[in-house]
Amino acid sequence: MVYKTREEADNELYEKKIDLSQDTCPNREQRANGINIFYGKASELVDQAKSGCLKNHERGFAQSSGCTLNFYLSVRVGTIRDSATIFHAPVGCSSSALGYRELFRGVPVEMGRPANYDLHWMTTNLRDKDVVYGAGDKLKKTIYEAQRRYDPKAIFILTSCTTGIIGEDIEGAVADVQPHIDATIVPIHCEGVRSRLVQTGYDAFWHAVLKYLVKKPAKKQEDLVNVASMLSYTWQDRLEIKRLLGKVGLRANLIPEFASVEQFQQLSEAAVTAPLCPTYTDYLSRGLQQEYGVPYFMYPSPMGVANTDAWLRQIGTHTGKVDEIENLIEEEHKTWIPKLQAIRSEFDRIAAEKGNKVRVLGSLGQGRLLAQLPFFDELGLSSPAAMSQDYDNLILEDLEEVIGKVGDFDLLVNTFQAAEQSHITQQLDPDLTLSCPFQGGAYKRIKGSTRIHALRGDPHPWSAQSGYTGAIAFGNFLLQSLKSTSFQKNLKAKTKDSYREWWFKQTNPLYYMKPESI
Amino acid sequence: MGSTETESGSEDFSEGRAIEAPRFSCALGGALGTALGIYGTVPILHSGAGCGIGQLFGQLYAGGQNAGGPQGGTSTPCSSLVEHHVVFGGEEKLKDLIKASVELMEGDLFTVITGCVPSLIGDDVSAVVRPFKEEHDIVHVKTSGFTGNSYEGYELFFEAIINDLLKPAEKIQQKTVNIFGIVPYQHVFWKGDAKVIKDLLARIGIKAQVFLTEFDGIAQLKNIPAAEYNIVLSTWNGHRVVELLKEKFGTPYLSFPSVPIGPKKTGEFLRTVAKTFNISDDIVEPLIEEEERRVYRFIEYGGDAHMLVRPHPFFAVVADSGTAIGITRFLVNELGYLPDVVQISDEPPEEVRGEITRHLTQGLETPVKPDVIFETDSHLIRQNLKNRPFLFLYASSLEAPTALEEFGACPVTVSFPTMNRLILNRTYAGFDGGLTLFEETVSTFVGPL
Repeated sequence: MVYKTREEADNELYEKKIDLSQDTCPNREQRANGINIFYGKASELVDQAKSGCLKNHERGFAQSSGCTLNFYLSVRVGTIRDSATIFHAPVGCSSSALGYRELFRGVPVEMGRPANYDLHWMTTNLRDKDVVYGAGDKLKKTIYEAQRRYDPKAIFILTSCTTGIIGEDIEGAVADVQPHIDATIVPIHCEGVRSRLVQTGYDAFWHAVLKYLVKKPAKKQEDLVNVASMLSYTWQDRLEIKRLLGKVGLRANLIPEFASVEQFQQLSEAAVTAPLCPTYTDYLSRGLQQEYGVPYFMYPSPMGVANTDAWLRQIGTHTGKVDEIENLIEEEHKTWIPKLQAIRSEFDRIAAEKGNKVRVLGSLGQGRLLAQLPFFDELGLSSPAAMSQDYDNLILEDLEEVIGKVGDFDLLVNTFQAAEQSHITQQLDPDLTLSCPFQGGAYKRIKGSTRIHALRGDPHPWSAQSGYTGAIAFGNFLLQSLKSTSFQKNLKAKTKDSYREWWFKQTNPLYYMKPESI
Repeated sequence: MGSTETESGSEDFSEGRAIEAPRFSCALGGALGTALGIYGTVPILHSGAGCGIGQLFGQLYAGGQNAGGPQGGTSTPCSSLVEHHVVFGGEEKLKDLIKASVELMEGDLFTVITGCVPSLIGDDVSAVVRPFKEEHDIVHVKTSGFTGNSYEGYELFFEAIINDLLKPAEKIQQKTVNIFGIVPYQHVFWKGDAKVIKDLLARIGIKAQVFLTEFDGIAQLKNIPAAEYNIVLSTWNGHRVVELLKEKFGTPYLSFPSVPIGPKKTGEFLRTVAKTFNISDDIVEPLIEEEERRVYRFIEYGGDAHMLVRPHPFFAVVADSGTAIGITRFLVNELGYLPDVVQISDEPPEEVRGEITRHLTQGLETPVKPDVIFETDSHLIRQNLKNRPFLFLYASSLEAPTALEEFGACPVTVSFPTMNRLILNRTYAGFDGGLTLFEETVSTFVGPL
């Protein structure tokens, strides 16, 4: 389909209205024409998306990559303090959440971690007989048990493939139990089979939060900024965001990780919803605006100095703090720009030595894709290619803007497909690959290899990535990585690869893509 | 917290009750972990797309912070079923996936492991797998998430190997044994355990096929029927496997309640095996004597710290039955520790619970008998630990972060889930294993004297 005008295209590109009368959100496939397979120029993807002919395809070979429940929701929802989470599922769907008690314990209390808190999740532990006879009563019993044991403010219910396929009436169970218990029950429809796109899980979570947990604003909190974070944002990143906003008299409402239930209830009272990852936050941002008039912006994320400037300016606009933010930026630049320049000149020196810029292969989610490329540009790095877990039209305009800023690049869209990622890492042979365990053995190579991001439980300043301190810390981290090759080199030489040799001799990372669209 | 004063144990003992953070994953997770433990095996998941990555976090990382290796984690092939397949079936998708996997993945044995979705929609997986048998070693492990837990997955994996792959041996190989009952990732020291058992038996002239972490593990699997004996190192894990092997190939088996920990149990293990195989005392006794002399001489180095700071303390255990038995008996009978409470977290079948309790309460060199509780609910486990005299807590990393503030006890992480330590070749098995456990225990409290 070719649209006549940009406006017409825009209206067709994604569903803008959020319908909270429904049990759950539409899938990303329907809402924003999401796909998880593409390889080509980013500009090509943009053209196809704009003309409506971007299509998803099956893979003849796929690797385990994540579903709407696992691993995002399963490892995140249970970190909400004063809540309990119930996995209405067989026992294996929640095992990924077994780190719940340890996750934030490594953060020293002196760094702002509450000394006393406890986290709770239960599984309904569905077995053969539940599948045959139904498990509605078991769910109800478990909700009562969670209320009795933990006296939580909210009880989140996470559904599974099994409850979806056997047709469990979740809303019915919730309606029966809710009048009898104090906790607010929040059913989240994250049946693994419902969508090919893990981001549907985010939307399903936010749908339930908007529908059941967010309260009508009792008052407006003009100094409150909603910031929805990812599990790839560390404790230091939280501190940096609080520090920056605090300097201009604003408070960050950081959700969902490790937040309190009250923080969710008051989302409607905030002055603005700011992104750390635009498409993760999208559904919530849109819903808060639609239901309660809380404004939002989608781009950029505070990654890199220029991005952080722009992120703060957007917040300033929505909170009436334009001048204060300008002053803040000026003051911060005095500290950080010289440090940025020092990192940049070191990368320039390396570039001069080898005759071209340091080539980096990175990215992960759509949000990181948009924010990371301009940041790398700022550091004097080149990114001839990037990877993204999925693509949907929510980022179309922002992607165009990034291409305008940093030039065109190759884009591989796949959700943790390790064989494809190993393949393009080998083909492109960048100086540095920013790897994640979900790329399998792609870190084993002769040249540079490091992690793409730190994780939420990591409290060390060395691992910071956001805002100004994060930009400098991560820049230094990348410089450091270029001085280290023994680990990846040894493992490449001394251990076996996952794939047979022919895989790397042919040129197409999407060798197993089925031609027909789905 | 809600009212907790009445909770001293689980109220609902039925299989399949709701649980806080149970200490295992599902049958798919257990079968996947076992497949990955035998090098050269390529697991192929016929399941939703999240099952493999979920198990990476919840079975592999939780089993001593271990990555999945070249065929694990997100490298594991997966049919990634969605609604479309629920409606139209997933058989075609699986057929494509197997075809591509044998072409692309390095490996010699392909194991199709099914999850909840194909079980619910009724895919005929065996029919899809069958044609591939002509050219490849491939088996179908009939798991689903609701079939049972990780331990069930271990049994189902070997049952599939036995039923789909094995043929009667042409000749029984004397003094060759198969080792069962060490469940990869669930028994967090599985890699070290397997190696120690193999090396110990080698010293008395017995070739042990341990499969796990062996580069010829698949050849060992195929050679299972040729073994003279099977040895099972658990009161219940692997018992269905050895029973099936007895029935199919007539192989007798020897059973031990756990992997032997420390000199006393290791000596006993070697003597029992030697007797079964008519191996002369002249070989076994000097070996035991030499090892005991060395190990106890080493324990002397820790004697001062032990006697001056924490002699004869009470301890508590939360672990799978094998680990609990092995550790408890070593601590009581070799270090003089006093058993306070032992919680068995692996949900053993009812019929072996009495036997497990006996191993934990009889033959102890102390009049103190521990309370033995069968519990896998993490909330109830913590309730059961309250207001007790123990100073050491041998448990999982679920207890470790708050052990000191909640229970006033030093934690040592010995059981699943173990996320706060990387476990590679570490083990408490064998003569030296006792030293390792002693070392770790004393290191939790020792300082300038």
